[in-house]
Amino acid sequence: MMSGEVNLKVCDLSHSFEERQVFAPVSFALKGGEAGVVSGANGAGKSTLLRIIAGLLLPKSGTAEILFGEQSLNAEERRSQIGYVAPDLNFYRELTAAENLQFFAEMQGRILTKAEMIEALTHVGLRGRGRDPLRTYSSGMRQRLKYAWVLLQKAPILLLDEPTSNLDAEGTEIVKEIIAEHRSRPETLTLIATNESDELGWGDFTVMLRQTL
Amino acid sequence: MSGISGKAWRQATFTVFKKEMRTELRSRVSISGIALFAFSALILLTLATATLREAQTIAFSKMLDGMTVEAIAKLRYPAWDWVSKMGLLWILLFFAAFTGLAHTFVQEEEAGTTLVLRMVSPPTAVYAGKLLFNFMLLLAVMVGVTPVYMALTGMVIGSPFVLLSVMLGGCLGLSATATIVAALAAKAKGSGTLFSALGLPLVTVFLLLLLNAASTANTIDPSALRLLRDVGGLYSFAIGVIALSGMLFPYIWEE
Repeated sequence: MMSGEVNLKVCDLSHSFEERQVFAPVSFALKGGEAGVVSGANGAGKSTLLRIIAGLLLPKSGTAEILFGEQSLNAEERRSQIGYVAPDLNFYRELTAAENLQFFAEMQGRILTKAEMIEALTHVGLRGRGRDPLRTYSSGMRQRLKYAWVLLQKAPILLLDEPTSNLDAEGTEIVKEIIAEHRSRPETLTLIATNESDELGWGDFTVMLRQTL
Repeated sequence: MSGISGKAWRQATFTVFKKEMRTELRSRVSISGIALFAFSALILLTLATATLREAQTIAFSKMLDGMTVEAIAKLRYPAWDWVSKMGLLWILLFFAAFTGLAHTFVQEEEAGTTLVLRMVSPPTAVYAGKLLFNFMLLLAVMVGVTPVYMALTGMVIGSPFVLLSVMLGGCLGLSATATIVAALAAKAKGSGTLFSALGLPLVTVFLLLLLNAASTANTIDPSALRLLRDVGGLYSFAIGVIALSGMLFPYIWEE
């Protein structure tokens, strides 16, 4: 686990796919205990922005830095510090929910106990479904499982792209609780990409992404 | 391996390998492809070489008339026959490998699991885990197919230990080549044509080395120099491809 206060600094960041610029340069900062919301029309680059921050994509211009104290993390280091939920992030359908969670934990050098697993699955309303293969899950259940991993990962940074997609009312409440619990800790930060009017109020501020012409 | 310890890297590699085993045993995408190809090719090759074997036996018996014992002994292992049969066996294994192992990264792209794997795993551990799985899968195919093929085509082993080394080296080189080419092809949206085009230069060199090594395996008591040149060359190729892939893979994976 990294030491020092966590900070996210985004400076004049923009990205383009081939010749088309996705969003106009954007700057903002988040510090420990804060949550930000990124909003914008479809295609405005919300998911792209989160991918850049997660270290999954290199920006065409500007910077997105994650700092722990004075230490800036490179792409590989920051991924282990990020809990990432996104519609295009899929788990393995051939594996069971428990096997998926154990796989991710082992990749990070941990072995999950049965109790830890049951606790996380219970928290997201999937108790008793841990041994079912993911191919038998509905899209909402798969979304809940992503939050089970977020809970087990205990990462200081949460990046949530369309956090309640495919979730019912109960699932949405679970996500709200997870975000509230995460925000209650000063050593964490949360960034949410959404267009849902309810979710726009989940952060301390909103960054509007604008498409360039 | 940047950023993590050797122990953590080994564990990540083994975890990817276990995941590959589990998903493959449940989906059977690669296994079915390889088994179907290996089985049908084995039958076809056996039927085709049976005619050749018959013709050769007739020619051989005619040649024996008036020959000395020494001359007959020299004919015991007709080199062209052994090497060409070995070549056919490797063609079988090569296409079986490229039929099955080509899916290794395409499956991740199609299932949309590449992103989660990138989030949790160092790139070189992904490469090493998948290479290990591909090697084991190809080794299993080789263990299943080779004895049957050799028995059916009447192949006699010159140097069993050298043959074993050649088969292992061949498996390693073939799985290393197939793994990196599969990664490149997956990033190019899984084009089968591209898979073949990208693999051709690597595979041509590999098959040439393999046939040299196979010819050595047919020799009784080959010299140390020949072993070093032919079998050593095969292993050098495999290790070279793995080393180069280890350096290139992070760039391919992060693209």
